[in-house]
Amino acid sequence: MSVVVPSLLKITFLLTIILGLVPVLIWVERKGSAFIQDRTGPNRASIAGIRLAGLVHPIADVLKLMFKEDFRPEGSHKFLYALAPFLVFFIALLTYAVIPFGDFIEIAGVQYNLIVADLDIGILYVLAIASLGTYGVVMGGWASNNKYAFLGALRSTSQMISYEISMGLAIMGIMMIFSSLRLSEIAAGQGDLIWGFLPKWGVVVQPIGAILFIVAVFAETNRNPFDLPEGESELVSGYHLEYSSLKFALFFMAEYCNMVIGAALITTLFFGGWNIPWLSRDVIVSNVGIVMPIQLGLQFLLATIIALLFFMRAKREKNKFGDNRDREPVFMGVIATLSAAGVVVALGATPWTLGPNAASIYATLLQVGAFVCKVVFFCWVFIWVRWTLPRFRYDQLMSLGWKVMLPLGLANLVVTAIWLALV
Amino acid sequence: MEAVLFYLFGALLLGGAIAAMTSRSAVAAAVWLIFAFVNAAGIYALLSAPVLAILQILIYAGAIMVLFLFVVMMLQGPTLKSELKSIGDRKWWLPVGAILVALLNWMRGVNLEGFINDAPAGFGEIKGVAELLLNKYMITFEMISLVLLVAIIGAVALASNKKGMPW
Repeated sequence: MSVVVPSLLKITFLLTIILGLVPVLIWVERKGSAFIQDRTGPNRASIAGIRLAGLVHPIADVLKLMFKEDFRPEGSHKFLYALAPFLVFFIALLTYAVIPFGDFIEIAGVQYNLIVADLDIGILYVLAIASLGTYGVVMGGWASNNKYAFLGALRSTSQMISYEISMGLAIMGIMMIFSSLRLSEIAAGQGDLIWGFLPKWGVVVQPIGAILFIVAVFAETNRNPFDLPEGESELVSGYHLEYSSLKFALFFMAEYCNMVIGAALITTLFFGGWNIPWLSRDVIVSNVGIVMPIQLGLQFLLATIIALLFFMRAKREKNKFGDNRDREPVFMGVIATLSAAGVVVALGATPWTLGPNAASIYATLLQVGAFVCKVVFFCWVFIWVRWTLPRFRYDQLMSLGWKVMLPLGLANLVVTAIWLALV
Repeated sequence: MEAVLFYLFGALLLGGAIAAMTSRSAVAAAVWLIFAFVNAAGIYALLSAPVLAILQILIYAGAIMVLFLFVVMMLQGPTLKSELKSIGDRKWWLPVGAILVALLNWMRGVNLEGFINDAPAGFGEIKGVAELLLNKYMITFEMISLVLLVAIIGAVALASNKKGMPW
């Protein structure tokens, strides 16, 4: 039982973060693309006239998808057609088991590692699950009995096989430097400093590996500029062309889950995982009286500025629409004010005087917060890149994978090996 | 717990293998084979060989079967029924099965002293496997990589557009 309950809590935490991020990311994608393309973006769905800049749209999308007809094309393979979306989603969620989202949390004298399964071969597990990820796409494309969907499935297979190799080679450099395949050890190892000031992040010690890995992750998640399996301009929408209703929703959600997992992997392997640069756990615990007021103060400042901006907008755009939309800035401003007031209450309670145990838990929370912030940032990078770069042509994709990334990855590996042998 | 998992994986593995043999659609057979491979990986993991389990998924279920599916799917659409008879229709499966059962029965009597030991600490983990591969079996290991290199060079030579060799 001492394993089951903490594991269940950890799994619940991860699932909440991932599944909670998915609708937000869909909103950010639509709103972000609108921002990049200088449009307004979704803003029509509303609850009682409050539109929240399109944040209501994910709810409307889910309702729409739930009540759509669950269509199955004629001549499709019944079983595999139904299985494919579940498989894609299942495999997308599997990888989170080995990702450390924090160091450890100490409750009542017991230390719990903040990772669901601290496997000795965590990296291999990630690669193995990633290699299974293509099956859902392939089955969905084939079972739909549609030429476009099938072409999408074929493209996805060859793309994933090609970029898995560069992904593995990029990870191998990290593996050699931290001499471990355990993701928690790799994350912990990135908390050190080189020459006393430079954080030993993967991106610092393995810059080429980091670039290769990020590109390979983009290809593995089928995101632009590598979204040829979908390629709407050529294949309508590729492997999930024939899917409707919640089966399509599963494909769609799996794409965003894969994005979050990609961001989490980039963070863990190359951007320090849960480490906050120059603020190790010891530093936080011994200086909690300084760190905590600063953190709360910054939070207060941020909330106040946001509240002020909303109230100024409310004053400036008074009666602009003549309906409930005019109340939106005030609504948002009140929320920001409330959060600022919450921070003031927290400051008044002086939680940094509670002793070392509370300080340790606070350090853990800060680290988990740092991890989530990094993951959210890389999710934004995924969206940013998608709406900035055009799609590759298929032969360009293959020649990039095999003629550029593979030799670069091998060279990086050799250089790393020589460097490690000399130092 | 371990016994329950063993029988669960074993039953699923056997079921997957039987379904792979008897299904008429080649694609369905390949999918069942993947299912069987994943369950075999589960059994490896129970036998304290986690590295082998992961490599089974990574290489067999992940890489090799993708190529299988890649080819098989292009040959056959989802509606097409194979002209081939199912293995259940064949007459020779009875004697073959009988021989197999007899072999298994004979194996029960084999003295396994010296084969079955408790696994030493660290057995089957990545470090132990690496030490075996790069110390004791290093020559073999390098020779296998040479074989693979020859295969790669051969593939490049065959795929090259130019007449003759690519260099």
